[in-house]
Amino acid sequence: MPKFSTALQQRLEALCLLFFASLLPTLAVHAASGTSLPTYVHPVLQIPRVDVEGYGAISLSLVLEDETSLRFAIASAVPAAAGLEPGATFTLSDGLLQIPTVKAGTQFYSLRLQRLPGDLFQLLAAEDVVLPGQLDYAAQCAGCHGADGLGGAVGVSLKNCVNCGSLASLESKIASTMPLGNPAACTGTCASTVAAYVLAVFNGTTSTGGGTAMAAIEELPLDATLRNAALQLLSRLPTAQEQARVAAEGEAGLRAVLDGMMTEPAFYHRLSEIFNDWLLTNRYLSTNGGEAAIQLMRRYPNARWYDPGVANRGSDYVTLRNTTNDSVAREPLELINHVVRNDLPMTQILTADYVMLNGYSAKSYGADTSIFSNEWDATEFRPVKLNGVPHAGILSSLMFLNRYPTSATNRNRARSRVVYDLFLDVDILALDGARPDGTAVDISSPAPTMENADCVKCHSLLDPVASSFQNWNLAGNFVRARSWYADMFRAGFNGTAFPSTSTQEPLQWLTQRIVQDARFDAAIVRLVYTGLMGQEPLDAPGPDATAAETEAWQAESAHLDEIQARYVAANRTLKTLVKEVVLSPYWRADTLNDAAQGVVHAATGPARLLTPEMLHRKLNALFGFEWRGSLNSYATSRNVLATARLLDSRQYYQQIYGGIDSFVITERLGDPNGLMVLVQERMANEMACYAVPNDFLTPKAERRLFSGVDITTQLNTAQERAAVRGTIQHLHAYLLGETLALDSPEIDATYQLYEAVQVEGRKRVGVSELTTLPALCQRNNDLLTGASLNSGGVDGRLRNDPNYTIRAWMAVVAYLLSDYRFLYA
Amino acid sequence: MERRHFLRLLTGIGLIGVLPMSLVRPALGATPSRFLITVSASGGWDPTALVDPKGNALRADGLGPVNNYPASQIKTIGKLRYAAYPDGVTPPATDSPGHLDTFFAKHYSRLRVVNGVDTQTNGHETGQRFVWSGKLEEGYPSVAALAAAPYASQPMAFISNGGYDFTASLVAPVRTAAATTFTALAYPNSQYPNDPALRSAGYFSTPTYAAVQAAREQRLTRLRVSAALPERAAQMAKLATVRDSDVPLDSLLTQLPARVSSGLKGQAEIAVAAFASGLAVSAGLNLGGFDTHGDHDEDQTAALTALLEGVDHLWTQIEQRGLQDKVTVIIGSDFGRTPFYNTADGKDHWNITSVLAMGAGITGNTLIGATDANFEALKLSASTLEPHSAGLLVTPKHIHRALRDFLGVPAELDALFPLPVEKLALFA
Repeated sequence: MPKFSTALQQRLEALCLLFFASLLPTLAVHAASGTSLPTYVHPVLQIPRVDVEGYGAISLSLVLEDETSLRFAIASAVPAAAGLEPGATFTLSDGLLQIPTVKAGTQFYSLRLQRLPGDLFQLLAAEDVVLPGQLDYAAQCAGCHGADGLGGAVGVSLKNCVNCGSLASLESKIASTMPLGNPAACTGTCASTVAAYVLAVFNGTTSTGGGTAMAAIEELPLDATLRNAALQLLSRLPTAQEQARVAAEGEAGLRAVLDGMMTEPAFYHRLSEIFNDWLLTNRYLSTNGGEAAIQLMRRYPNARWYDPGVANRGSDYVTLRNTTNDSVAREPLELINHVVRNDLPMTQILTADYVMLNGYSAKSYGADTSIFSNEWDATEFRPVKLNGVPHAGILSSLMFLNRYPTSATNRNRARSRVVYDLFLDVDILALDGARPDGTAVDISSPAPTMENADCVKCHSLLDPVASSFQNWNLAGNFVRARSWYADMFRAGFNGTAFPSTSTQEPLQWLTQRIVQDARFDAAIVRLVYTGLMGQEPLDAPGPDATAAETEAWQAESAHLDEIQARYVAANRTLKTLVKEVVLSPYWRADTLNDAAQGVVHAATGPARLLTPEMLHRKLNALFGFEWRGSLNSYATSRNVLATARLLDSRQYYQQIYGGIDSFVITERLGDPNGLMVLVQERMANEMACYAVPNDFLTPKAERRLFSGVDITTQLNTAQERAAVRGTIQHLHAYLLGETLALDSPEIDATYQLYEAVQVEGRKRVGVSELTTLPALCQRNNDLLTGASLNSGGVDGRLRNDPNYTIRAWMAVVAYLLSDYRFLYA
Repeated sequence: MERRHFLRLLTGIGLIGVLPMSLVRPALGATPSRFLITVSASGGWDPTALVDPKGNALRADGLGPVNNYPASQIKTIGKLRYAAYPDGVTPPATDSPGHLDTFFAKHYSRLRVVNGVDTQTNGHETGQRFVWSGKLEEGYPSVAALAAAPYASQPMAFISNGGYDFTASLVAPVRTAAATTFTALAYPNSQYPNDPALRSAGYFSTPTYAAVQAAREQRLTRLRVSAALPERAAQMAKLATVRDSDVPLDSLLTQLPARVSSGLKGQAEIAVAAFASGLAVSAGLNLGGFDTHGDHDEDQTAALTALLEGVDHLWTQIEQRGLQDKVTVIIGSDFGRTPFYNTADGKDHWNITSVLAMGAGITGNTLIGATDANFEALKLSASTLEPHSAGLLVTPKHIHRALRDFLGVPAELDALFPLPVEKLALFA
């Protein structure tokens, strides 16, 4: 903002009278909202509350009309919203508008303006203002939280800050924890003035902007939300009982149904996927090497208990090896499942003093297997405390420590960075912008990471956490260090050193402090929200952000803050978090009731191309069989992982379709490419080829797809046409979740496809096409059992399609399976 | 955790969507004049075991030798120097294309080596990002993605095999698989795609399949027009765009070897076939096994042998298709390894590395940059590129500045991800 100057004089009385007399009723709905603090965002000077001598309070918006003369025109004047603090005064006698503090960018000014004829204001004077706490904030806080308080890659936003609490609590928090790694730098007056500054400048808000944005979202009805939740969480359709309960009890019913869903094993498969996208510990599954996890267990003499020696290996050797390896590899994800399944607080994923083992992995660790009801049940995981191992949840997991390795020179700093990133949502590398240029940093002192300010600002955060790993060696095993580096910050967290008198291990001490940090809660909320939404929450807007970007972020972040508060209040149970996300307007967003909000909601709504795993399960849920290669040998293909088209990463489509192997490929593709649409096309064709004839072989009452028609049903009579139309209506609902009226244009379009294919195809039968189905689509054997359909004198095979009805339905099903609504969540 | 960039969200179809088309797309029908392949030795290779050899002289600080081979065994060919095999390690067969002597004898004349590149990090993720994007922090696309961006409409413009393949939404990365899988995708309506004699037998007859495809396209248009949420409409637009682009995979299949190799060789075969068939513009190849914290000499040697075999195979593929004047190859790694051994006979992370270039436009038999006896980078004169105490340290930022200029990255694209640093004639 330029410095203001010059002088003028006039009155505003008539103007104010006009506003109060005529504008108040009509403009009330547009009452200004937001901070009490006057702001200047070029070219608008916004004063939320002007106290007008003798008339009350108005909210005034002025627009800089002439940059040379610094004259403002009145853009709007409305009654001030209740609860705002006075930000300016206007005296009718001399026409002076005095604004003690105006925020312009990251600067503050005191302004004096004079009213002129023609509803103009002339700027008379502008002086710099330094608010109490402003300089300390700029010096010690802005590096992470941003000069505008909107946060950054490291610091959370301070706008609409639900965690700030009262002035006293924020002051206490700053004094004890801020700035990160050096809380002693801002205590006493610094803490109190910075707290006041943060609350006054960033939080004097009514948050109505976010409310307006949220109100524009029209949510999916509860029944559709139920279907989406069942498919997303369990990869199945809702049961009739679940649908009835939601219909009868509304949202409470849906919450109860979700509680039930979250007891099913399928939920924990999905949960592991979400958390593995974050931890990537599935890098050690046998798909990445038969003994990928076992190789990490050199310390454990029984690790390879399943191998009697090459000469003595039985036929079950590979199965035992892979099962054992995968049991070991899944340990950190099973810990998360255990915590969630038993409604334990999510803090236990870091503080658990046990490890999750099943009978197979227990043998490898040399642990007691008598605790298992069935030591050969690979799904029976139980908490076990290993002798001599001071467990610290995921952080002491062999998988975690090897997935994020360190070295003698790295001294656990890489692990520390990952801890900040995964569990505190802090990107150390983004701290204070670019890393110091190696040529410009003086590293001549004995311990530059402790003495050089350029180094200290990161290492004071990084190294105490790194030092807390000091008793976990390069291989990920607990080996008490004889000594630790003197030229490195000692173990600690958030400015508190690990007490030398503590009876705990430093890593255990660390995890107990991490889980008390609000950023741990925020990290979990962010993770679950991202996993269910299919996209990250919006990033904090930068200095060049538009108003729409800022509003979108404010609305979403305020909503996430609310979700986080409910999650914390519910003892940090993840099931609560899942329910809150599923019931949130963002997850249920269907449409907007205000087109003007389109810009704000540019990114709103679940936006997920189904992952290959999710698509695989969805197909199975809807058709009762998986997409395998080849479907002709479905009954004899025992190894699902090696034959499922969307799960096998090497031969088939898992990686082409954007999947990850948690090893080399660690980022999922969120948008389709040319190859992926070909995968969709082949999937739709193959599944239609097998599913349609298979369904017609099923007793009519048990059919998933075609209970309303037979293979003889053509379009010759009104009854047949109605049956076909009704079946199409059912297919749209069953496959796509679309509830359509029989006369809807979409039903018409699908009917036209059926009609074109069936009628024209029948004409070609015997001419250019055969009576029989395509060879692979003929059902000579039961798809699931492989049993012959032509035995005992009964020929139950389905090979012919003289009326071209089966092929027409195949076309319809292929059309629907390649639809956007099928392929996206 | 990665954060979404608001700009990408608003554009819906990625950054491309907000740029004037003339800035990022060549004229309709234009074909790339140059292809780019990056080969990432993931995990952090040891340049002193390859193109920046030191030998086994003991360090003055008592940390032992840099390498376990005598300096007298360091080889010179043309202007390049390369390492000997460490004592106690069995080298590959001398006729192996991955043997150091064999490889350098065959390729030194086309190799350009930049030694003493300071990655300023010893973190894998950061190192990969810096080495392949030119920026230490997040947010910049890999150079392979940048090279493909002007041709983003090509169905497989950028092939990724993992590693740092961030694209900043400029182009969709495509991952690859086995040849039979490509065939199945090339003929999605075929019941028997891998049997040429039966390939025409479809799940649907030609007229029926045409009806399905037309209905599918019309349905997507209807959905897109009626979509109320911008994000959903944008997704549909993307899906429609990708579906509209023809993917002539059959032409790729004709260029692939009858039996596609595994590992780096297979990646090379698919990438070059995709170039030759006009489907791809750039490819990121990826090979692991270089993070040798223990038993360095044995494991690093094996990884380097696999790398050199792969690069040799790549060049063979390029030559077989007559693309040697069109394909540029850049080879690099996250960073280097310590100029001393740890207690496990391994080497940990070290911020100094090397970058190799070969192929189209590259003058071979050239060595730029240097390190001292302890494998610390020496400063270079910006004008002569010779070591100079008052010069500058070459970082990946310099590498990418030079690489972008060399590749002819459009100025408008370059400006979106600026690299304000001295221009060095590293590849000219």
